[in-house]
Amino acid sequence: MTSTRHPFAVAAAVAVAAGLRAQARVDPDEFVHLEPVLHAAMERAAPFTVTIETFGGTRKILGPDEGGEGGAKPRSMPPVRPGEVPLADPGFHQAQGRGTGIVIDPDGWILVARFALNYDPTTILVTVPGGGTHHAERKGEDTSRGIALVKIDAHGLHTATFVEPARAHVGQWAFVLGRTFGDDEPTVHIGIVSALRRQFGRALQIDAYTSPANYGGPVIDVDGNVLGIAVPLSPAGRDAGVEWYDSGIGFCSTIADIPKIVDRMKAGEVLHRGWLGVVPDPAHLGPGAKLVQVPKDGVAAAAGLRMGDIVTAIDGIAVKNGPHLQMLVSSRMGGDSVGLEVQKKVNGEKVAMTLLLADLPSAERAESKEGELPASFPLPEKKQGR
Amino acid sequence: MNRALQCGCATVVAAVAVLAGPVAAQKQDFGAAYSFAERAPRTVLERTIDRLLPSIVKVHGASGLSTITSYATGIVVSDRGHILTLDQILVQKGRTRVVLYDGSVHEAEVLPADERLRVRLLRVDPAEVEGGLHPIWPKAGDGPLFRTGQCVVSLGNCFRLAEFSEKVSATFGVVVGRANTALRYRLADVQYDGDLILTDACNNPGHYGGGLFDLEGNWIGFNTRLLESKETNTMLSAAIPSRDLLPYLDEYVHGKAQPETVKVVRPVYTGIVLFEPSGRTSPPAYVDRVVKDSPAAAIELRPDDLIVRIDDYSVRSCKEFRDVLAKFGPGTTVQLTYKRGTLVHQAALTLAQDKQ
Repeated sequence: MTSTRHPFAVAAAVAVAAGLRAQARVDPDEFVHLEPVLHAAMERAAPFTVTIETFGGTRKILGPDEGGEGGAKPRSMPPVRPGEVPLADPGFHQAQGRGTGIVIDPDGWILVARFALNYDPTTILVTVPGGGTHHAERKGEDTSRGIALVKIDAHGLHTATFVEPARAHVGQWAFVLGRTFGDDEPTVHIGIVSALRRQFGRALQIDAYTSPANYGGPVIDVDGNVLGIAVPLSPAGRDAGVEWYDSGIGFCSTIADIPKIVDRMKAGEVLHRGWLGVVPDPAHLGPGAKLVQVPKDGVAAAAGLRMGDIVTAIDGIAVKNGPHLQMLVSSRMGGDSVGLEVQKKVNGEKVAMTLLLADLPSAERAESKEGELPASFPLPEKKQGR
Repeated sequence: MNRALQCGCATVVAAVAVLAGPVAAQKQDFGAAYSFAERAPRTVLERTIDRLLPSIVKVHGASGLSTITSYATGIVVSDRGHILTLDQILVQKGRTRVVLYDGSVHEAEVLPADERLRVRLLRVDPAEVEGGLHPIWPKAGDGPLFRTGQCVVSLGNCFRLAEFSEKVSATFGVVVGRANTALRYRLADVQYDGDLILTDACNNPGHYGGGLFDLEGNWIGFNTRLLESKETNTMLSAAIPSRDLLPYLDEYVHGKAQPETVKVVRPVYTGIVLFEPSGRTSPPAYVDRVVKDSPAAAIELRPDDLIVRIDDYSVRSCKEFRDVLAKFGPGTTVQLTYKRGTLVHQAALTLAQDKQ
């Protein structure tokens, strides 16, 4: 601060002198110092930021010539594989250009956005900076994070260092790199971390522009370490989210806290969000989550849970209320084993059980019935005599 | 008659009336509120913007079509009154007006446009400009014009927010990267084969014709319309590298005649026959057969090879294969990247002339 004529500036100066020791001077030219920081981070991250190109495959998304945007209204959603949901609403122009990926293993494992494989391409090529172009095999994916793994036959690659999501902080710099517009130097968009633990602890929210131009790219901190991978996600829990591009709302999926996710994807597994198959009663404010519906096809029904039962704990964590139950379940993956404590309605008895979560059914993946928190909680009407 | 221009003039008149009349009468009470006083610049960016703003002007053109914006931004490039703007608004003799930094309105002479860059020079009479013009010129030197991640400020009259002597808008961002991508504006393809500077400093309607500057105030880019990349289907805030403007500026500002570049497009021959069943979308560029004794035969290309790239151009379909090849002339050697089985190969393919 050069001017001290302003009364607030004087007050601030006095406050600094009076109380705050070792207070850093505010540099009004702080953004000038951003440039070298950004360049250093980019230089560290560029070697593991790769280009992915796809060829062939079938469209899952309507384009303008198929009744999408600029054309007639679509009659129906385009056909997709049974049990799958299309990745975006009809009308979005699907990207056909290059995409971006992150090297996570020196032996040729590349993390990409599922978005890049949207067409179910017949050929996938990965170009490593200074390391040539390689044929890639599609491996597993995680629909809840919007990510997929591909494998190339290469060794000794530069790999990304991932930051534990618990070490991220709202307000820290977040730079997104992309390879869409060429291999020489990645593109960069800058912003900050807007929020932590989105998508039930699977993603960080950032305000840097994310779009098909950088989906799959690393979101890096000032040290060039990776906070997450830029993916289209939306709060509704769908795979969509592309329509939010360039809106100042972006997401990057985190994997550093769950290494076993990567191992399962390497084995070719397609992972989904976990599903217990219960609907908690929004009128029951806790403690515990009272079940108002237990769909017959869910694992909860198979384990003997019935309407009116109260789930009191999951994996030893006391369930506070319905949304808490949803959060605890939704943060887990299909196939995860969970320990449940339930107070039965019939006899008030407490029982403990262990069961395996199912995959979130595709209909719920589209509509996100379970896991989506209600917009508002209807307070129960006060009953007489309670 | 031009409604937009009328509105603009009316606003100018109103603004003049406000400043001339009531201000004097109420000076005692509201003087500070009407003075638009600003504090002195403190930061590098503030100083740079203050220095550049006198070079940025508002351009109002004639427009009878609702789809074409009637306003844009311009940059003063000579003290003889040359102003560079985008050849996007309809400029017509006698209908094109330039509003300078001080709020003075000038009728502009319309000079020939550069068809490739879609930019156009206007000229105002410098004798009518009080206080002189403040020209700027593209960043000099042979060094890099810009680099990815560099902080930039973009100046322009987005959404025509600035009237009279109000200053144009400044937006801050970084250089996102350099792009050479297939472009679209609304639903029409854009014929532009040069590089663009991408930035996250937003380019809204009216902002085009303005400039992109680095923190020191070097003029590095000339704001284009809000374009759409055909590859990503996303909007781009883009600028033409300022040095690419030099041939045009030199010719019409300094009168340096440019050598005529006559580009004769001759079709090329490779001997590659692609597998292309008729259908709605063009399939990937798989080789169906290779003609004997052809350039493709010389590099031992085989049926079922998948062509994925020519030089640095991605080839994702048979159509793109033809489109990319059309960029080259006979005798050129291109780097052909193709996939055979699970291996990716590269070979230097020398294009022959198509005899047909």
